[in-house]
Amino acid sequence: MFGRTKPLWDTGPELKSGYDAVIIGGGLHGLATAYFLASRYGMRDVAVIEKRHIGFGGAGRNTAIVRANQRTQENVPLYKEALDLWPVLTRELDFNLMFNNCGNLNLLHSEAAVNAARMNIATAQFLGVESHLIDARQAKEMMPALNISEDITYPIMGAMYHPPGGIVRHDAVVWGLAKGAAALGVHIHQHTEAAAIESRHGKVTAVATSRGKILTPRVLVSAGGYSAAVIHRMLGLRLPISVLTIQAMVTQPLKPLLDHVISSGAYHVYANQTLKGEIATGAHMDPWPNYTTQNTAYYVKHQAEALVEILPCLAGVRFMRTWAGLADMTPDMAPIMDGNHPLEGFYMDCGWGYFGFKSCSAVGKYMAQYMAEGRCPEILKPFALERYEQHRLMGETAALVSYSPDN
Amino acid sequence: MALMITCPVCGPRNGYEFRYGGEDKGPRPAQRELSPGDWFQYVHANDCADGIQKEWWVHRDGCGVWFTTYRDTTVNREVPPPEEDA
Repeated sequence: MFGRTKPLWDTGPELKSGYDAVIIGGGLHGLATAYFLASRYGMRDVAVIEKRHIGFGGAGRNTAIVRANQRTQENVPLYKEALDLWPVLTRELDFNLMFNNCGNLNLLHSEAAVNAARMNIATAQFLGVESHLIDARQAKEMMPALNISEDITYPIMGAMYHPPGGIVRHDAVVWGLAKGAAALGVHIHQHTEAAAIESRHGKVTAVATSRGKILTPRVLVSAGGYSAAVIHRMLGLRLPISVLTIQAMVTQPLKPLLDHVISSGAYHVYANQTLKGEIATGAHMDPWPNYTTQNTAYYVKHQAEALVEILPCLAGVRFMRTWAGLADMTPDMAPIMDGNHPLEGFYMDCGWGYFGFKSCSAVGKYMAQYMAEGRCPEILKPFALERYEQHRLMGETAALVSYSPDN
Repeated sequence: MALMITCPVCGPRNGYEFRYGGEDKGPRPAQRELSPGDWFQYVHANDCADGIQKEWWVHRDGCGVWFTTYRDTTVNREVPPPEEDA
């Protein structure tokens, strides 16, 4: 461990004056798209440009939870494929992504929540995703630490149990995809900021960067929470996005206690135990848009109070680290994936809110197909930007804009 | 960080007393001949400025007044209006 370390990927390729494709944003969506462009479509002359270092943004700040029990039939198949791809990528990249297939327990605290879960479960089962409704006693049997007594603010009435979900080590995914993409010839340029997208006769021609101009016929913006500001600044295109800070934290390491991911809408909390034993927990978003990625005392207190109600054994346990990331929220809680609009050769993959991590594997595959063939794959068609103008918003949120600050 | 917002009636107060009301997009567009595109721009589309933006707030847990102010979204602090709007 004290010997010389070798980088996982080639960190020093020269920035060329032209590439077949340029990807703005060295996060999971950008790296996955680059990897699939090179591995599935033979497009290896690709540059990923990243303002800071890869995995700096949401890729390294999410709480690593993966699942496929979303609400709508457009979204579930995408997340299902993302789940199915973890073992495939682990093998292909020859990199342990630490997929802990522990399953998710979504706690339900009212009759209304139980009924809403019934619909989610029916949708999941219809689409071949395993999901069950269980009662409070069964939840307690699965997770003895759970408090199912009546004397808490929101007593637990049952849970939606989703066995295929779990946790994936997010940093490993960043490193594995970077290693895999670079091995196929993709150039990863860190500390390279995109300044402008240049076009001629309605077609993308180049990307201006802090290190000079790159000629390219196609560019993807997959800059996570920064995408909306980047796209507005470069193309004047305004998106239906609000960028909110979402906070997270971990406790000191504990003996094994949670063997499933748990989440609760009423308490606004989710928690899982990492392989190191820490309880990683989060969920709350600042109720005003901002790009600070700072934590607030207001939220740390809320988190402690909520966790101790559902898991009383955590009383007195200390939070060890806190952090925050950006969530680019859309009014219907579903992403925007679009291409060749307003410029031919311009692609965007944004508006993921807090679902960017769990979707990255499948989205990389389909955005790569979109960019390689120039035609939108069938599975991505419902996610076009024009749906907002046509009043065809998706039903990923039961109450429209309930997570948006405009609410 | 602790956000302070200045209510035109009550003065500077803790940000959690207020509710954010969206980016200031000017007056509501006229209903006559309103296109879906213009309605989309008014209802859903945002600038998402990483910098100073003019925005609506309501003093929800206070006097209830609606007002606009300026905030730098990169540091989450209220700022004085830019000179051209002062």
